Amino acid sequence: MKKILFATLLIINNVFSQEEIPILNHYVNDFTATLSVEQRLHLERKLKKYDDTTSNQIVILMISKLEGSDLFDYSIRVAEKNKIGRKGKDNGILILIVKDYRKVRIEVGYGLEEIIPDAVASSIIRNIMIPYFKAGNFFEGLDKGISTIQDAIAGLYQAEKKDDFEVTPTLLITLFLLAIILTSLFRRMRRGVLGGWTYYGGSWHPIPRKGSWGGFGSFGGFGGFSGGGFRGGGGSFGGGGASGSW
Amino acid sequence: MKNKSLLIGCSVGAVLLIFVLIIASWAISSYNSLVSLDQEVNQTWSQVENQYQRRFDLIPNLVETVKGVAEFERETYTAVTEARAKVGQIQITSEMLEDPKAFERFQAAQDNLSSALSRLLVAVENYPQLKANENFLQLQAQLEGTENRISVERRRFNESVQKFNTAIKRFPTNVIAGTFGFGEKQYFKAVTGSETAPKVEF
Repeated sequence: MKKILFATLLIINNVFSQEEIPILNHYVNDFTATLSVEQRLHLERKLKKYDDTTSNQIVILMISKLEGSDLFDYSIRVAEKNKIGRKGKDNGILILIVKDYRKVRIEVGYGLEEIIPDAVASSIIRNIMIPYFKAGNFFEGLDKGISTIQDAIAGLYQAEKKDDFEVTPTLLITLFLLAIILTSLFRRMRRGVLGGWTYYGGSWHPIPRKGSWGGFGSFGGFGGFSGGGFRGGGGSFGGGGASGSW
Repeated sequence: MKNKSLLIGCSVGAVLLIFVLIIASWAISSYNSLVSLDQEVNQTWSQVENQYQRRFDLIPNLVETVKGVAEFERETYTAVTEARAKVGQIQITSEMLEDPKAFERFQAAQDNLSSALSRLLVAVENYPQLKANENFLQLQAQLEGTENRISVERRRFNESVQKFNTAIKRFPTNVIAGTFGFGEKQYFKAVTGSETAPKVEF
């Protein structure tokens, strides 16, 4: 019995001893404390703005080392788990740096494989990023690399119109109908389920209201998403991209 | 009295009818879910095929480039060309997925080509001219990318086969699967060291 338990534990341990895949909440995730705060913010703003205007999502992950996983295996799992890029467009890119191993990988989403084929990703790594990385200048390497990627993709995708708040006739009609339904519901609720009337003394009388309804409470505002952090949009990856080392 | 027995008869009939309807709707829905699982397997399989084809198409260029520079590695690059020719002889269809022998042959040929290619890429490390050759570097990047894609698509294919095989074996869906002839499908077995993802055996 003990043996079986031990074997089970061993199997479970084997399955989970693989690298833990981080959930990324920013465009720039530096777990190596290499970038200064200003550098990180600069890149974060650049990528956030890029996402807002083009819907392409580029995310940076910097870690010190890998616990046993293969570079490619790890990078595709991070990209898949965080769903970088938009659903349907699959326009996400992950730039992974494993600093202590001096390795970098650009993982390219399905939707960008045509425009950034492996050879181009490889060339960006070798000719643009690595010369800076060799000199220890990670910020410059990333910044230039990202600009090159952005130039390559330029014009392929635009941000969805939906993102801007547009007043269309359909929207107005929907809002109008919604308002009518809500008001009638609200009235009914105030009167009680049976219409708020009761029969006594030979005739119908309205039920006197006991206490107040306390309103609907607040919805907490709608500004919850404006924090500026990264949220994956459901993009998927097929293993496109390239790796390099310096 | 007569009325009462009629009533009982009717209600028994109604219960039976409801029972039959429930069984029928269950059968239909599980048949449909098997069909969609089967389609998923075929779809993931065609992705696997695409990536293997892509690698197949890349090889001649790569071999040409290596030939030009590393004449010494004749043995290594002819091994690649031969392995590629073997891969080209194997016809692949989605019916093959239920045939263990054919699938094994397919996997063996592809894995053989993978190892021939990786030997070539290791041998090439000794040639600085190649490592400075932009054309070669790009081919190498493309080949690496294709190998990566192959491993991704193989994993997705295995996952979909796993789902399918579990579904057709599980009671009571196995009755439907048996009736309509859904057979167990083959999947890629990990070759030592070639896959990092842990495989679940069933």
